[in-house]
Amino acid sequence: MRPLTEEETKAVFEKLANYIGKNLVHLIDRDEDDAYCFRLHKDRVYYLPLPMLHLATSVARPNLVSLGTCFGKFSKSGKFKLGITCLDWLAKYAKYKVWIKPSGELPFLYGNHVAKAHMGRITEDTPEHQGVVVFNMGDVPLGFGVTARSTLDTRKLDPTGIIVFHQADVGEFLRDEDTMF
Amino acid sequence: MDVTQQLAEFAAANSTAVLERPNPVITDAGLLAAFDNTPIDPEEYANLNPHVLALTLTSTQALISAIFTLPTKSTSSGPVVNLPTPVTLLPREKPLPKPKPPTKWERFAAAKGISHKKRDKDVWDDEKQEWVPRWGKGGKNREKEDQWLHEVKQGEGADLDPAKTARTERKARIAKNEKQHAANLSIAANAPKPISTLRDPTFKSSSSLSDSQEVKQSSRNKRKAELERSMLISKTSTASLGRYDQKIEGEPKVKGVKRKFEANVGTGGFEGEREKALGVLKRVESTVGKPKKAKKGGEGEEGGLNVRKAVRFASKQDGGKGRVVGKTGKGKRK
Repeated sequence: MRPLTEEETKAVFEKLANYIGKNLVHLIDRDEDDAYCFRLHKDRVYYLPLPMLHLATSVARPNLVSLGTCFGKFSKSGKFKLGITCLDWLAKYAKYKVWIKPSGELPFLYGNHVAKAHMGRITEDTPEHQGVVVFNMGDVPLGFGVTARSTLDTRKLDPTGIIVFHQADVGEFLRDEDTMF
Repeated sequence: MDVTQQLAEFAAANSTAVLERPNPVITDAGLLAAFDNTPIDPEEYANLNPHVLALTLTSTQALISAIFTLPTKSTSSGPVVNLPTPVTLLPREKPLPKPKPPTKWERFAAAKGISHKKRDKDVWDDEKQEWVPRWGKGGKNREKEDQWLHEVKQGEGADLDPAKTARTERKARIAKNEKQHAANLSIAANAPKPISTLRDPTFKSSSSLSDSQEVKQSSRNKRKAELERSMLISKTSTASLGRYDQKIEGEPKVKGVKRKFEANVGTGGFEGEREKALGVLKRVESTVGKPKKAKKGGEGEEGGLNVRKAVRFASKQDGGKGRVVGKTGKGKRK
């Protein structure tokens, strides 16, 4: 476990900024008694409260499996990939959101893209290729993805057209249980 | 009327309860400090706040009474006390300055046992009957340049300017001194630190090493490092990256660069880490959200116009009419 280097921090922040934009500052600039930090452990980036960090320092590296919230992992080529485990933080600060109808929940949770027919609502003025968090109509976060069209262009689309490209969904907690943490 | 009881009551009401201390409270008026060396009584600590207050009161009273024993001076703003010099020795705030690396002359003098006498900056001028600086403004060393009459020695040419010669000689001395100073600095900078600090000036073999030899050695080390580096490069420049090459005896070992990361719980603490993260965030924010720069020759940003391409297109279409061409018309192109 170690702090992120500057390039790593930049990669993580750039990826997070796709989804939460300027709200990213709320993840970093926190109160002294509610402080969180980013740590890298076995190529995975964890976001954890400071007291937990102090506790975890006493665990040897091979024995430490996971700590805090896993935000994602660095690929071997140095790219950062967000994982579904960071959904709670993303949903809290998300700038653009997409709500899907109950009929579209299952297809999305099986790892499919969101079609227009399944979309219930979308944040106004969402641009194209913007990271969005996907909710069901009961405001439960289901996953996240990238918009295929801007909000305006979705009106012209036929019902089978893809609105949000799937990136991660909570179904992964079952499907990828072994490699998740 | 008996007022003794009232007086006693008044005294009791206005007196302050001062603790009895087995060890007297030591005061240092120079630092305005009082030290209470009496050992701590654990029972008193059950009721901590009043006890600490009483302790403070005792020490403060001791300090104030110590100040009042000092001689006072009356000024317009009331009586004033000149505090004595502090008695308590405080530890030095900063570490002792490191000794300067000895110059060439200092090393030579140490080897030869010459004790250095510091020359005064001023010298006595017999003619002026006053002290003049040895060098600098109005210095003794430019006396020859400034005097109105020069003695010409036998055999010196008539066109010789004695003032000018004296000046060039002085300038040459300055240049020489500066050169020596630079050499001293470079030797001090190049010398490996532990050796130069450990070197005993009386140790003959090391002190006999002259400076030119030292410079030569350092340049030799540099050359050796370069040679080793080029050797390592050439060894790994085979198809197998030097894996199947024969090893030579005494071959330098390949030392890779070790990755270095910050401590897990950094020295700057959470604050330092947050500052760093915010710095990165600022840079990220400046790049994110902005449209990417149009590539040269690309289509430009979405919805925008690639001016360069448009100009080229227009100028091609109607024989360069779209372009403003120089007055001579020489730059016209089809």
